[in-house]
Amino acid sequence: MLVYKTSSRPVFSAILPLLTVGALWAAPATTAKPKTPSVDAAGFDANVKPILRNTCSGCHNATVTSGGVNLLPYLDPVTVSEDRAAWEKIVQKIQSGEMPPKGIPRPPQEKMTALVTFVQGEFEKADAAVKPDPGRVTARRLNRNEYRNTIHDLLAVDFRADKTFPTDDSGYGFDNISDILAISPVLMEKYLSAAETIASRAMGADPLPKKPIEASADLKTKTLRRLDFSTVEATQRVDFDGDYTVRFGFPGERTADAKPVKMGFWMDGQLLKTIEVEMKPSKLVYFNPFSDAEFKVYLPEGDHLFRAGFIDDDFVKTLKDAKEAYSDKKNKYIGSITFVGPFASTVEKASRKKILICDPKTGQACVQKIVANLAHHAYRRPVTPAEVAGLMKFVAMAKAQGQSTEQGIQLALEAMLVSPQFLFRTERDANPTDPEKSHRVSDVELASRLSYFLWSSMPDDELLNVAEAGKLKDATVLDAQVRRMMTDKKAAAFADNFAGQWLEIRNLDSIKPDPVKFPAWTPELKEAMRTETNMFFQDVLTENRPISDFINAKYTFLNEMLAKYYGIDGVKGPDFRRVDLTTDQRGGILAQGSVLAVSSYPSRTSPTIRGKYILNNILGTPPPPPPPDVPALDDSKVGAEVSLRKQLEAHRANPVCASCHSKMDVLGFGLENYDAIGKWRTADGKFPIDISGSLPNGKSFQTAAGMRAILMDSMPQISHCLIEKVMTYALGRGMQAYDNRTIEQINKSMAADGYHFQTMIFEVVHSLPFQSRRGELVTSQNSPPASPGDTKPKTQPAVKAKEIAQK
Amino acid sequence: MTIPKALPRRTFLRGLGTAAIGLPFLDAMAPALRASTIPGGAPIRMAFFYVPNGMIMDAWTPSWEGKFQDLPRTLKAMEPFKDDFIQIGNLTHNTGRALLDGAGDHGRCSGSYLTGIQVKKSLIEIKNGISFDQIVANQIGKKTRFPSLELGMEDARQAGDCDSGYSCAYTNNLAWRSETQPLPPTLDPRALFERLFGTGVPMTPAEKARQSKYRRSILDFVTDDTHKLETTLGPTDRRKLDEYLSSIREVERQLEHAEKDNSQVDPHMEKPYGIPADFAEHFKLMSDMVAIAFQADQTRIVTFLMTHEGGSRPYREIGIPDGHHPLTHHRNQPELMEKVRKINEYHVKQFAGFVEKMKATKEGDRTLLDNSMLVYGAGLADGNQHLHEDLPTIIVGKGGNYIKSGRRLVTRRETPMCNLYLTMMDRMGVNVEHFGDSTGRLEGLDLA
Repeated sequence: MLVYKTSSRPVFSAILPLLTVGALWAAPATTAKPKTPSVDAAGFDANVKPILRNTCSGCHNATVTSGGVNLLPYLDPVTVSEDRAAWEKIVQKIQSGEMPPKGIPRPPQEKMTALVTFVQGEFEKADAAVKPDPGRVTARRLNRNEYRNTIHDLLAVDFRADKTFPTDDSGYGFDNISDILAISPVLMEKYLSAAETIASRAMGADPLPKKPIEASADLKTKTLRRLDFSTVEATQRVDFDGDYTVRFGFPGERTADAKPVKMGFWMDGQLLKTIEVEMKPSKLVYFNPFSDAEFKVYLPEGDHLFRAGFIDDDFVKTLKDAKEAYSDKKNKYIGSITFVGPFASTVEKASRKKILICDPKTGQACVQKIVANLAHHAYRRPVTPAEVAGLMKFVAMAKAQGQSTEQGIQLALEAMLVSPQFLFRTERDANPTDPEKSHRVSDVELASRLSYFLWSSMPDDELLNVAEAGKLKDATVLDAQVRRMMTDKKAAAFADNFAGQWLEIRNLDSIKPDPVKFPAWTPELKEAMRTETNMFFQDVLTENRPISDFINAKYTFLNEMLAKYYGIDGVKGPDFRRVDLTTDQRGGILAQGSVLAVSSYPSRTSPTIRGKYILNNILGTPPPPPPPDVPALDDSKVGAEVSLRKQLEAHRANPVCASCHSKMDVLGFGLENYDAIGKWRTADGKFPIDISGSLPNGKSFQTAAGMRAILMDSMPQISHCLIEKVMTYALGRGMQAYDNRTIEQINKSMAADGYHFQTMIFEVVHSLPFQSRRGELVTSQNSPPASPGDTKPKTQPAVKAKEIAQK
Repeated sequence: MTIPKALPRRTFLRGLGTAAIGLPFLDAMAPALRASTIPGGAPIRMAFFYVPNGMIMDAWTPSWEGKFQDLPRTLKAMEPFKDDFIQIGNLTHNTGRALLDGAGDHGRCSGSYLTGIQVKKSLIEIKNGISFDQIVANQIGKKTRFPSLELGMEDARQAGDCDSGYSCAYTNNLAWRSETQPLPPTLDPRALFERLFGTGVPMTPAEKARQSKYRRSILDFVTDDTHKLETTLGPTDRRKLDEYLSSIREVERQLEHAEKDNSQVDPHMEKPYGIPADFAEHFKLMSDMVAIAFQADQTRIVTFLMTHEGGSRPYREIGIPDGHHPLTHHRNQPELMEKVRKINEYHVKQFAGFVEKMKATKEGDRTLLDNSMLVYGAGLADGNQHLHEDLPTIIVGKGGNYIKSGRRLVTRRETPMCNLYLTMMDRMGVNVEHFGDSTGRLEGLDLA
């Protein structure tokens, strides 16, 4: 009989709900910990105790616990070392000027500074006494983006892992956290079938259908969408890699002297081809005026977004409206796209070139070379002869089944793509269970750490060669590689994946602004916003700009559409380019449409969400979660009876709410000049926008630019926050107390250098946690549980492997 | 290349609902005696359909008990199936409550819904318990090609914290294979179709046999590889690789099953193409395939996450542009409550479409619905106050001539939801003494 128990933690049921209030700060943690250095009690009594007792404890004691905080236990100096998290908060509140709040007499500034300096000095003392700890990264499964990029770099096959595999869960705000990336039977099934698909596509083994298939998208059936008078778009699935004839139908005609126009054809945002289209009346006999054009192009299998558009088409600007633009008498436009195919491609597939480094017909030696080369790259490290021999058995097996050598290579490749050596990034330990023993990761392991950090993909040949030659431990060589990688176009993955999650702009795909209130929100606007932020982020990186540009840059990246949306003149055409900003309406990511849109509700802005966004992502001081049962705002009344500002101010009258909202909302209001999809405004409904505010530390501002200027004063804090995020992303684990020291060190280098972004990347790469790892104690928490129904003995597979060998 | 002219507006199941069904469940296939079968040999199926953010309870709970009178407003769409379901009052999930863990009722109630475990409040150290559907799957799942299917409608959130410090894993998943291993739902009808019925590229028996042989060899090879790799790794790394190994074993088992079962299921439906933008259409495609999978005995266990707990999907198709979750914090404002009621009704209406399919499918001299237990419910009662008692729950289908339906059963207050799970496990043929915070079996389902 089975018995499944509830959590082993004591469950007190709901009769003690009061204890939950302020549980975070209820008492100093007293659990057994490694010995911490003693605190200078005399210094504590002189610098800390008087202020804590006379100024703070009036509101934070056993009976009055403002903000759920009781400071009496912290009058004991030993808490500085034993409950550092709490003291970090205390120091941060004092440093930022939030505490003591208005109305409470402030001790003289030098006393406050002395308190902060003393506690921070104790922290540093404690850090210096602790043995540096690199921490430990769990074996990391490739996430969907990494899988797709790795397959692309390994085999030149574009496999849409994001459309095939389940979503990867995220932790600490990123989806590359090793502990979170689980594997399930469904995913395993997909890995297996993906390996078959990919290997078969890479070898070009898929037979094409005997007859080409025709499919089309047109305006009449609305399968073709109008983006503007010159541009259309359609989502289509391509079932086979191959050449396709793409035919465009152009209804209508222009004047007899009309100039030809260039037409572009894009797939998934990538320009595939441009052709010139004749615009004069075709003189062909149709019932209605019509002409067409076609070309042949190679299309990879998958769901694709196709777009066709006339580029720099001046003629449409002379047209009044949609009626004219789609009148066969007044204009010629793109009315349909027809795909005919597939046809055997005339060009040899890039993937075959990558795999067949010699002609397998020349014999076994070449086949072995091919398999060894594939495994070397797929496993991202040198492979042993035994490993190659194990894979060669698949070639033999295919042959025994009457298949060709190429099919055998394909089968061996399938096996590699399902292997844990490919799917996981594991790092070997000499002493895997001894937490005291740390060691530098090998050069080859470091190469993968670098490439998945900056490229979300495998190391390229140059990086792998340097690593295998043992040169990567040389700081000059390492720096040269990092510099090369940061400016390589693959570093776009860093913007996509790091910035996409840090700034939450990946959520652009899931937000759904109310189409009635925000008719301007279109897929094109959304993509333009994403491009702006991506290009801006990449520019700060590749141009080594100071990270203060994220807050207050005097430039951004725009195309005509987005520039118009921002009310900026002089930007023409669909291409994005760097634009210097001449007013202070825009500047930095907090004034970019993408960030403003993802931090809003579908129907309105939320200063609270935006304030929380700034606290979380920019300042690194996330507010605690709200108490339960907090009433929400009544959306239907916002901007109707009372202004949003008035409503939120009423909300803040509640002292429980005020402790967090006094900062959060004020910062959020600083962005109220931007509506829920980032458009500049001066009124909300019938109420004029008033963005002025003063922060708990007494600093005040009148404009959005003014608020950004105040944020600039917090550069050390902003830098600290960004370092923490970059480290989390780079290591694939959350930051622990022992990482503080590394973060602080990096932050000092950043300050000394003027906060240049590349400096941060170099420092992270050189840091102890990035270069080293240690063993780990076996505990009941991390040892594998016996999973029910799992009875297969572990020795069995080895026997089976032997069976394969015999075959 | 096949590019359909347009997504078929109504992808219907030809054959389903008529007497002529070309699907392979034959009474003779069932072994003579199985705890999870009823006399006549048909197996019992179980499914959970989870809706988030609680409900407006005044439109769910009637004033009466016993035999159904006028159905409450939210359940109106279930009128044609009045005799096929039972409504249960007072079921409670104590593990959804704060219990010293503070805010985060959405993360908690979703995470603990099928596990009855107080989930660990963390963004990183995910810890739940095995969910009861997976206990059943471990015991009886070997009899079908898929031990269980996990389905959903909404993509997981890409970035950020899901609820007050609870990892998104708790709201993105209902089924948990172990305390750290959630089973992510399949969202894409096309992916589900291919999983159930293959890619549509026909293979000869010889090709199929070869593929199967290759797959097994590859799985053996990588299993061996993993064991070699493990010797150099620390405990947490090994735990990750053990997850990998146990997934491999599950895939091996499916392969074995597929080898034994040579019959190819003909779904009698067109292959779906991507995820429809329309909620109702998406649900219909997914639930149609659930009905086929049940009918063809491809699986007996399904968990279906309609949308995520705490999710803010607007329902413009019924004139509601506001987010669902913010609306449920209505503070008793009549207009907001009315919108939530409409969302609740809309969800039930979609579900009723699935019930209709199940009922129209004959199995022996009964219906597929009769042999099923389809639980439709929410992890919160009142979403405004985050109440975890009296969770809205109905069971549709008679679980094989067991449940006396057509009535409202009100159990003792604070009756653990896990008691219902124990009773359901009994019906599925899995004998478990205790699960989660159960205090016993749920009595009275079989007593009119």
